[in-house]
Amino acid sequence: MAQKDWLGLKKELPARRRLVLTILSFLLPLALWSAVSYIPWLWHPYVRVTVPGDVGLYDEGTYVPVADFKQQVAECQRDKVAPPEGELTNPVYLPAPHQVFRAFYTAFTTAPELQDDPWLYQALGRSIRTIFWGFVLSSLIGVPLGILCGTYRFFARLHEPFIEFFRYAPAPAFSALCVAVLGIDDAPKIAIIFIGTFFQQVLVIANTVRKVDPALIEAAQTLGASRWALVRRVIIPASLSDVYTDMRILLGWAWTYLIIAEVVGAMSGISAFIVMQARHQHFDNVYAAILMIGIIGFGSDLLLAKLGTVLFPWKRPRGAGAKRTWIAWIREPGPAWRKSVRKITPAPAQP
Amino acid sequence: MKLKSILIALAAVLFSVTAPAAEPLKIAYSDWPGFTILEVAKQKGWFKEAGVDVELVWFDYAPSIDAFAAGKVDAVTAVGTDMLGTGATGAKSKFIALLDYSEGSDMIIGAPGINSIKDLKGKKVGIELTLVEHLLLLKALKENGMKQSDVELVKMSTNDAPQTLSSGKVAAVGAWYPVSGQALKQVAGAKALFTSSDAKGLIYDVLAVNPVSLGKRKDDWAKVVTVFYKCVDYLKDPATKDEAIKIMAAKVGAEVADYTKNVPGTHLLTLAEAKEAYKKGTGLDSVYGAMQNGDNFNRANGVYKTAQKPENYVFPSIVQGMK
Repeated sequence: MAQKDWLGLKKELPARRRLVLTILSFLLPLALWSAVSYIPWLWHPYVRVTVPGDVGLYDEGTYVPVADFKQQVAECQRDKVAPPEGELTNPVYLPAPHQVFRAFYTAFTTAPELQDDPWLYQALGRSIRTIFWGFVLSSLIGVPLGILCGTYRFFARLHEPFIEFFRYAPAPAFSALCVAVLGIDDAPKIAIIFIGTFFQQVLVIANTVRKVDPALIEAAQTLGASRWALVRRVIIPASLSDVYTDMRILLGWAWTYLIIAEVVGAMSGISAFIVMQARHQHFDNVYAAILMIGIIGFGSDLLLAKLGTVLFPWKRPRGAGAKRTWIAWIREPGPAWRKSVRKITPAPAQP
Repeated sequence: MKLKSILIALAAVLFSVTAPAAEPLKIAYSDWPGFTILEVAKQKGWFKEAGVDVELVWFDYAPSIDAFAAGKVDAVTAVGTDMLGTGATGAKSKFIALLDYSEGSDMIIGAPGINSIKDLKGKKVGIELTLVEHLLLLKALKENGMKQSDVELVKMSTNDAPQTLSSGKVAAVGAWYPVSGQALKQVAGAKALFTSSDAKGLIYDVLAVNPVSLGKRKDDWAKVVTVFYKCVDYLKDPATKDEAIKIMAAKVGAEVADYTKNVPGTHLLTLAEAKEAYKKGTGLDSVYGAMQNGDNFNRANGVYKTAQKPENYVFPSIVQGMK
């Protein structure tokens, strides 16, 4: 049993080791961040002045490059005046982990100071709602269109060149138009998410659908499958699990448009928090908010991945026996399919 | 049929249709003391008290002007000269109240070793072109007997001013609140070479109202203006100043101590001062003169081509009629 080899080529690792590595993948960047934040000689290019001393140019909180600070201290000692004091620090744009974690906690526990201002969880909820609607609306059109383009050259030639062209258009450039047409509330934000997602979605899904094994299609055609049966019984089932994976990636894509989308029209959601906190240089809060987005994104993707193993049991690494799932209706021959099969079933040979 | 009704329901959710009658006046405001002060009125319930239904909508500055230009809000708090630009491309507005002029919040900040505007000759200056800091720089150069071609302008986003200055690649940057204070704090030895307190009235902020809305609901707008100057008095009164600042700081997410330091850089106008500034004149002490100056600047820098007449925008009668 004893699996000594951690680096087996293309060999899945035991569950325990997988878990260890997953945790490590988070700990490594965290360790790097901590090292840069807490070990002074690694970076810390500035001195944050705590006591200005007799240097006229310094105030409490001034950031001074280390070399300049040392020179200033030397000059003060030479002139026998009070030298400034300070502590080594990183630029204000990179807070230390403990500051960010503290900000993370307080962000949730602090009540909004003003009436009508949202709690942070409400702001997050609004952001999630914006993403959800943007993604759902995009998918409602994008997935069927992608499948059509992937299946029929006709639709691919009719739509893909323009979509290919338009996907380079920067979504934020349409913000003024979105506001003019859709107002200042949630609609223009949803529209930006839509524009940011839709065009990629069609192309990615069309591409996935095109990858369906041609042998399957040929076999079905040989058996006389009608056009609709071919799409419903062969192409969709064959590509469904890959399309599902595409959708997970595209959902992550949609999130990257959030900050742009939520400052279109009236500021809302988590982006309003991030933008305002950044403007006033509270970068601990900014990184805390980024952390929240990361957790929500990563968490939802984990859930979707889990759901994927339930929906597509044949894609599981080690099959634990195919469970009956909702998808069984697609795999089981329906009446239309049976009919078309029956038509070409050769009559039993007469002896 | 079913699909159709679903689509209609979906559209209704998305484009949430609202009845046109008795709508609140929508005012877009953003992070600048002269604008954020409206939050005081909201928190104290003064609009309701005055009998006017107002909905304040919190924006980032540039999108607030987009929303106004698109007719999605009835009014916006903005720099007067910016509204000339918006007007030149379609969305005209009436300046029914003068909110403030910048008095120190906008700065040209020199790198260490640069001690005056004259020291900038032949050097690079980081500036967000065609916006107010550009206007301020031209004014600074003019006062020192120089012109734009005496310096090399480097395109910069104002939010990046601290980093740009500390990189040592430029001799000076132009920045507004709160970025200007951050640049001074982060770059030791940097100093303000020229600020908006050296050119009071160069940068007037206004409450710009959609003319159609003003025509229909002039009385309501007069109430809004009254409430605004009530807020200013509240901020200027030593007894209530702290409470006003606390509300404003909370709105923008700043620390009260920091915010207290920043507020004096904006000279909020009292009703009496606004009446004074609404008088016709050619100097910067009159909003007419300031807007003419801004119009010249905008045209010289290609913001728009057609001259915008100040008297088409400045709307003094509400303020002048108040007691």
